[in-house]
This record gives sequence, C-alpha cells and structure tokens, in this order.
Amino acid sequence: MKKRITLIIGLLLCTSLLFAQGKFVATASKTNVGVGEQFEVDFTINAGGTHYTQPDFHDFQVLSGPNISSSFASINGVSTMSISYGYILTATKEGTFTIDEAAIVLNGHTLTTNSIKIKVKGQAPPQQAQQAQAAAPDDNPKVDTKDLSKQIFVRAVTDKTRAYVGEQIKVYYKIYTRVGILGGQPDKAPDLNGFWNQDVQSKGQNTWKSEVYKGIRYNVTTVKQSMLFPQHAGDLTIDPLAITFMVELRLPSRNVLDDMYGNVKDLKYSAKSQPITIHAMALPTAGKPADFTGAVGNYTVYSDVDKKELKANETLNYTIDISGTGNLNLINSPKIAPPVDVEKYDPKTNDHIVVDSNGVSGSRQFSYLLIPRHQGNFTLNPVEFTFFNPSTQKYVTIPTKPFTIKVDKGDAQANVPAFNSSEQQDIKLLGNDIRYIKTTSADVFKDGEGFYNSALYYILLLLGPVLFIGALFYRRWMTEYNSDIVRVRSREASRMAAKHLAFAQKELTAGNRSAFYDAVAKGLYGYLSDKLNIPVSDLNKENIITQLQARKLDSTIITQLVDTMDLCEMARFAPVTGISEQQVFDKAKNTINEIEDKI
Amino acid sequence: MKLKIKYNRLNRGLYLLLMLALPMFSLGDDKVNALFDKANQLYAKAHYPEAVQAYQQILNEGYQSAVIYFNTGNAYYKMDDMPSAILYYEKAHKLAPNDQDIGINIQFANLKIADKIEPQPEFFVNRWWHSFILFLPVNKLAGLGVLFFIGGFALLIWYLFTRSYIIKKATFYVGVIGILAGIVYIFMANRQVSYFDGHHQAIVFSNSVIVKGSPDLNAKPLFVIHDGTKVNVNQTNQNWIEIELPNGNTGWITADNVKDI
Repeated sequence: MKKRITLIIGLLLCTSLLFAQGKFVATASKTNVGVGEQFEVDFTINAGGTHYTQPDFHDFQVLSGPNISSSFASINGVSTMSISYGYILTATKEGTFTIDEAAIVLNGHTLTTNSIKIKVKGQAPPQQAQQAQAAAPDDNPKVDTKDLSKQIFVRAVTDKTRAYVGEQIKVYYKIYTRVGILGGQPDKAPDLNGFWNQDVQSKGQNTWKSEVYKGIRYNVTTVKQSMLFPQHAGDLTIDPLAITFMVELRLPSRNVLDDMYGNVKDLKYSAKSQPITIHAMALPTAGKPADFTGAVGNYTVYSDVDKKELKANETLNYTIDISGTGNLNLINSPKIAPPVDVEKYDPKTNDHIVVDSNGVSGSRQFSYLLIPRHQGNFTLNPVEFTFFNPSTQKYVTIPTKPFTIKVDKGDAQANVPAFNSSEQQDIKLLGNDIRYIKTTSADVFKDGEGFYNSALYYILLLLGPVLFIGALFYRRWMTEYNSDIVRVRSREASRMAAKHLAFAQKELTAGNRSAFYDAVAKGLYGYLSDKLNIPVSDLNKENIITQLQARKLDSTIITQLVDTMDLCEMARFAPVTGISEQQVFDKAKNTINEIEDKI
Repeated sequence: MKLKIKYNRLNRGLYLLLMLALPMFSLGDDKVNALFDKANQLYAKAHYPEAVQAYQQILNEGYQSAVIYFNTGNAYYKMDDMPSAILYYEKAHKLAPNDQDIGINIQFANLKIADKIEPQPEFFVNRWWHSFILFLPVNKLAGLGVLFFIGGFALLIWYLFTRSYIIKKATFYVGVIGILAGIVYIFMANRQVSYFDGHHQAIVFSNSVIVKGSPDLNAKPLFVIHDGTKVNVNQTNQNWIEIELPNGNTGWITADNVKDI
C-alpha cells in the first residue's frame, strides 16, 4: 500500500514537472493482485484531450472498458475538469507484467502516461475484498471540497463502440458519488442525433450499489438506460448527460458542536458525462437480399391462418408473427401477395415489445384481413422475412409456411353491396405494358422505292387519262366510219352472206335439198344487194351484171356468178344433174370471196 | 368475221397493268423474312440487344418498314433506352401514321422520360385535317389513289362505248366519283409527304441540354431539356439548330445533341 502511494506521488510529481498544462497519468487500483482478481487501471487527464490511444493489455484480460468518465466542477470561479479512461482488468497468469503507456493529444502535444508494473501472485488475497466491503462512503475521513469532481461524477457506459446500422447498443448513465446527495435533476435529455432511441423504463427507486472505481469506492446508481439503434453509417456521438446535484459536503469540524452534529454545507454541483463516439458500420451490401427492409437483430417468424376452409365473402385472418430481439419497432409489414380476386386489407399491427436491461425484445404481429370473393382453392404463398444478424454478420431469410385455403360457394348476398345484383363485374386491370411487337409480316421496301413518287406511280396515273383520250378518238373515228350507210351495208354484206351460207351448209348435211338451194340463192342475192347497193325491188340478174361490169369485175367471175345463180333457181324446181350440192356450195362461196377480194 | 370488240381488249390490258403494279405493295424477300423471324424470336426470349442487332441488320440492307421500326423501338424500350425507343417509334409513326399500337407505345415511352411537356392545344380543324391526311400510310394512299383514278377512267371508257342507257348512266356517275376519289387520295398522299417534310423532327439524345437564345455558345440560356424529348427543328444555322417544343418554346441547341427522325 505504501509502495503504491509513493509510486503514484512520484509519478504525479514527474508528470507535473514535465507538463505544466496537462497531466495525463496512469493509476492502478492495486499493483499486487492474485490470478483472477479484478483491478482497475485509469488513465486520467486534467484537460480535454483528443485522439486517445489505449495501451495493449496483452498480459491481462479486459473485463470492461474503456469506461469514459468526465467531471467538471466550477467552484468559486475556479473550474477544474478531468477525463478518465478506466479499465477493469483481471490477471490470467502469475508473474510481473507491465501496462504500457497510453497516449493522448492535448493542444498539439502528445502526452503519454507512465507504465505500471503489476505483480501477479498465485491467489487473490481474500482480505482485499473484505477491506473493500468494509469501506463505506460515509466513513471517509475527509472531503476535499476542491476536488469535488472526484467525489461525484456521471459516467456514460456503452456495451460496444462499433455497431452495424440498426444494431442495438445499450447505454447506461451512472452516478458515482462519495458525498451525500440531497437531490438531482437532469438538465435535459441528451439529443441522440443519428440514433433511434428507446429508453428503458426504470422500475421503482434507484438502487444504490457500491462499486470500486479507480481504486476508490463509490456509491453507484444507474439513472438512465437507453437502447440505441444507429440510423445511418458513420461516427455518431452519444451526447453527454448533464445532471445538477445538490450535494451535502462534510467540512472539517471546527469545534465541539461540529464534532457532535457535523459541519455540513450544501452545494449546487453540475456534472456531465463524457460524449461517446460510436462507429456505425453500414450493413454489408454483399449478399443483401432484394426484400431486405432494415430489420437487424435475431428473429423468428411464425405465420398462421384462423381457418383453412371458408365460404366466399367470409373473412380470413392471416397473421405473421415476428419475434426476437432487435429493432422490432422499425420492422415493416411483409408484403403478401394473395391471388387478385382475394380482397386484401392493410395489416393490423400488434406489438408486444419489452424494453429492459437486456435490450429490446418481444414480438410484432401483423394481422391481414383477407376476403376471398370467389369459390375455389387458392394458396397463400410463403412470405419471406429477411433480417441482418449482427452477431453472425449475415443476412438471414426465413420463409413462412404456405397455406392452401379452400373456398366454398358463398351466399350471394353476404357482404356484397346491394347494387351489385348481377354476377357480372368489371375486368380488373393488373397493370399495363407496351404493345407487343408485330410478327406477321415485315412489310419492307427499299429506301426511296416507295410506290409514291415512283416512275410506275406516274405512269399508272397517266394511264387513265391517256386511255380515255384514246378511247374518245377511237369512238369519233368509229362514228365517222359508220355514218355512211352504203359503206356499212357493203361491209356487212359478207357477214350476211356467211350467215346464209352457214345455214345452207346445215341444210345440206340435213339432206334438205330444196332448202339448201334456197339458202344459197338467198345468200348470193342478199350479198349482192348489200354489196352493190341495189334495192331488193330492182334485184335481178341484168341489173347485177351491169353493176358488176360497171365495177370492172372480171367477166369470168360474172359468168361464174350467173351460172351459180341459174343453177340455184333451176334446182328449186327440178333436180340438178351433173353437179353435186357440195360443188354448188363451194362455187357460191368462192364467187362471194372473189367478189369480196376485188371490190 | 375479223371484227372484234375493241374495248374489251382495252379493259383486259388495264387489268394486266394492275396485276403488274400490285406486287409493288408486298415486295417480299426471303432473306429479310428470315432475319425478321430470327429477330422476333430473340425478342420473345428477351434477348433485346441481339434483337435490336438483327432488326438493324435488315435496316442496314437499305430497307425500311414501319413494323421493323416499331419492333426495334420495343426492344429499346425493354432495354430502358427511351431516347432510342422514341426515335424508332417516331420513325415507325412516320411510315404508318394511323397505327394504334405505335401511338400507344409512344405514349408509354413518353411517360418514362424526364421532360413532361404539355402540348399546345391544336385548333380542332387542324386536328381533323391532320388525322385526315395521316389516315393511311403514304404508299397505301398513293396506291388507292391510282386504283380509283384508273378505275374511274375505265368506267368512263365503258360509258363511251356502251349502248345500254342504264349502264351508261351508272358508269358515268360512278366513274366521275371514282376519279374524284382518286384525286382526293393522291392529294392526301401529297399533303402527308409535305407534312412530314415540313415537320422536321428530332429526338434529344444528350442527358441534359441547355437551350440558348441564339446560335452562340455564350448566348443566354433559356431552358433545359432532357433526353427522349421530341423537338421540331425549325431551321439550321451551321452547327446549330433552332428547336421548338410542343408547348411552343423555341431556342437554339447544337445539332449533335439530337438525332433526326
């Protein structure tokens, strides 16, 4: 004990000589410890330093820490402050070990502490614990009014300094005191920017426990417990909690009365905890499922339906129950996808969430109301619930059970609005999309080869008028051509003759001789009448001969014609000998052809 | 015996000419059809970039077709490339102005682009007039026009030579109406071509373009348009084009920001 005090005093002197401005010292609650015995090591600076670097406690096991506490006192205009980084260590093996220096930066200078030698013996000395038990705050011999910050302070303690977004962090605000407290009032609740905060409701009175901190025994109580969930990645600061106390200071006795009743003075004192920085890590993107909605913790999922067989238009309750620990309040309702003609309502949320010193736990139940509108079977597909488990650092997806629901034919009237009397209903539009590609025909044409403006287009356009004009001219020519009745008759003559001769031919094959000769004669006379423009009244042989002679026809043809005509006339009354009917027919035909050729 | 009814032959010749002309409307090519089928299959399997390539191959052969433009636009739409999709839809629209599918898909694509422009309401006579001249693709209008024109004249020729009074009366009136209908169709085709020639349009392909007050880099910025927006090109000045938005705003941008339809 003596050794320890001298060591501390020596170190204090050393450091105070070296650094007039800031003192950064290491203290240990004991330097002789047994294996398994707990002891405390503190690194304390009497100013606000930054960039604290903790030593490597490789020979010891760190049970807790760094537990950061700060105190600030302003007495009669003189303000003092100190920040202390405390660790609770336990030795694991025997021997003499050194705790290395801790470092901190103050005003640009790096301050380091002394190193501490710890002797570890085989057994924890039992009397140490008894001594600690015996020590009570009221028994403290004297109170240093100037160093009130050592007598009463507020500490904020977290269970971790690195956490994933959404992972829960426990924060305790503790009061450490060695003086009597008449009353205390938190100045204001700390702003917890970047966190989602859930306070633990304290049950009843604060319980005071005694705790050894930095080698000094304090009465300790937890004033506030919170569960924090970082909301975004980055370094987030837990704001300090400030509490104003009325403390009862016991002053040294000045006279007998003081000895009897105590020389006591009441003092207002404000203490503030040290801000703590939490490094919030973003959730890993690798392997992040698409349906992840931000649930972090450890959960189980259970789903159920209240009936598996019902009538159409009756209600069905489908519940999904998520239970476990983590940010339960931030869990959104899972998306369920019942068939389209099952009516779905927004889920009702039932929470059974308990916030206690173990964290936020409980269950959140989503209850969906479904109304199948039509008869048939449908399946409630499994709903997948995804969360991130920070302890295994993996995403976990739990599917619920699928349910097959049998829907029987329901009463038409039940639950259906009165105006919807018929079974008909509008087709439900589920979504819309672009029209599908056309696949029937490519319908291509070469660039610049469209029909419009092509050569063919203009040719075809001109074709109509050109043909029409052509037709007009043709018709005019036709009317002119047909206007001369004599010429028309002459042109028509051969046709008429052909007609008679064809008839004659028919009679010939029928063997009707007299009719045959009659037809041939009619053909000849008719032809000549038309051809020579002789009226039927003037039609006789003499007239025909003079007309033919006037047209300078060969006399042989005329003789032949006259012969044939005579033959036909004779044959009408008497049988013809010496010449067959066929020969007569040929003769008549030849004569007509020859006249036609000549005239 | 040698006499013939001349106008029958005339009509027969006319039919022959039409028979020759008709294949112009459905020019088929085995290679094109094979490529077209392949591209459609790729599209059906959701291999959109490959489908675009195959359609592009047909277009690179020097062909054009509303169907192929439309299908290419669809493939681009599925690839979420809205400016290209709109460009091809508009090309298809130009070849088949009254096609409902094309119109609907243009609307869908326009919902997915950054700029929402309320078009100035068109005077209803203008709207009717445009929907009238855009009623059919230009080549179909031209084909119908020629058909009615020739048919009308054929009826008039028949009118000249027929003897029957009833047929004469019928052919005359029907023929005149046919010729008038042909003229209307040809006029529509002509108007449609001049409408598209006069409406020089382009699609913005740059992500965002600052529209300036004059063709000058230092000119005053007027407004910003984004990719996929259809603009009318009013005039060009070297590298600059004057654009007009459907809501009536005009301004100048450089020509490399847009692709012509």
